[in-house]
Amino acid sequence: MLDTVDAKISPNKAVIPMWTGLVRYLHLTPRAFLPMRSMPELRLIEGKGIVGDRYMIGREEGFYSHRPEEGRQVTLFELETLIALKRDANVELGPEEHRRNVTVEGVPLNHLVGRRFWLGETLLEATRLSIPCRHIEEITGKAIFDPLINRSGLNCKILKDGIVRVGDAVRNA
Amino acid sequence: MSPVAVTTIKTIVEKIDDVGAGAKRFVLADPDHWELPPHRPGAHIDLHLPGGLVRTYSLCNDPADDKSYVIAVKREDAGRGGSVFLHDRIKTGDTIGVTLPRGGLRLDEHASRLVFVAGGIGVTPFLSMAAFLKRTGRSSFKLHVMARGQPPLADLLVPMLKTGHVFIHDTATTGRPDLASLVGDHMPDIGLACCGPQGMIADFERATKDWPEVRVHVERFVAPPLPVDPDAKPYTLALSRSGREIHVRAGQSMLSALQEGGIDIPASCCGGICGSCKVGWLEGRPVHRDRVLSPAERERSLMVCVAGSANDRLVLDL
Repeated sequence: MLDTVDAKISPNKAVIPMWTGLVRYLHLTPRAFLPMRSMPELRLIEGKGIVGDRYMIGREEGFYSHRPEEGRQVTLFELETLIALKRDANVELGPEEHRRNVTVEGVPLNHLVGRRFWLGETLLEATRLSIPCRHIEEITGKAIFDPLINRSGLNCKILKDGIVRVGDAVRNA
Repeated sequence: MSPVAVTTIKTIVEKIDDVGAGAKRFVLADPDHWELPPHRPGAHIDLHLPGGLVRTYSLCNDPADDKSYVIAVKREDAGRGGSVFLHDRIKTGDTIGVTLPRGGLRLDEHASRLVFVAGGIGVTPFLSMAAFLKRTGRSSFKLHVMARGQPPLADLLVPMLKTGHVFIHDTATTGRPDLASLVGDHMPDIGLACCGPQGMIADFERATKDWPEVRVHVERFVAPPLPVDPDAKPYTLALSRSGREIHVRAGQSMLSALQEGGIDIPASCCGGICGSCKVGWLEGRPVHRDRVLSPAERERSLMVCVAGSANDRLVLDL
């Protein structure tokens, strides 16, 4: 089960592709079901989450807030997946619709589980891959559950807080 | 940690005003005036009221207004309690949980002229539609409103009287106009829609029986009674997630059997039209009797208020 993987920091001998990526879009929403709003920057708080977002620890107004999870402090999604959804399933999905906070380009999210990386000036540790949910189909009205399996983003905890801005670099720690 | 799952959109009652004909208008908004989930013209939402009351109301504001959900509710003293609760107990500043908007008037996009027939408070979905049509430049529509005396929401209707979009028929003085002559003969570019009391809908359906289905939409507030099935048989619901089994008596609704088993299913219309009680099914042969699911949706979902089972066991995703 993807959602029960107990992620540990990967050993150094793991094969990690060379990469440097970019923050392309930033989004948050204060409560479950509400549309995600595009933001020029997000303030990440170490060990807690994103200021103003529904999953900020202490706020707990997200659809899954009744199932607490350390790695839901900030979530990422690949811009390349949006392109793939159009190519593979003829689904137009915007960066505001996948309901993850950060849309990145050039970042191999599937390789980062259990690893640390820099998102702008903030340091994150990836805890697990996200899995799609029917909830997102309910909200978007689009049949995206199946096409999102295995490419639904990454859940992370925040190790060093700071401001993340659109255009920031994403790189290995 | 939040003790229970968030299942509804949290809204605050921003404004309540009387809109005539025994109706009140409620403006609901996010506590921080965040954008609300979008709605189609003529869509409806469920209000989850204290005490487990769930009631469905059409939205009457323009879908371009993404900061509020506006409903109008006529007080029905002999109703099921939702309207009386809203009229008597709900105050400005109260919190109400609502569902994502569903449905909407699905009219053939090729219909360039639209005729709407509304009875009383049944005018609400057409107000949202009218605002949408005017804003998007499709101004060729007529809204006929039947009401005893002054119609509700006159403040929204009067400006459209002047533009020739609205026609008010006072049934207290003239009786209900002949709907067949009102809608006329079928023309290829005309789409029709009706919302109102059961008797008026029945008249409308008779008047439009020769029209193609794609050109005619009926929005119901009261579910039509289910025909009694003399061949109804008992069956068992197997709940895949909990491992429980629920027995449904002959003629009993699936919803009622689940509720007797202590399973909380949000339900509103209980007649297969509002879409509140949709549940996934996994194995078996459901009998679909709803008027809301598409053929594709029926491949994996059913409405427990009206659905049955063609054999003695049905597995639900519960």
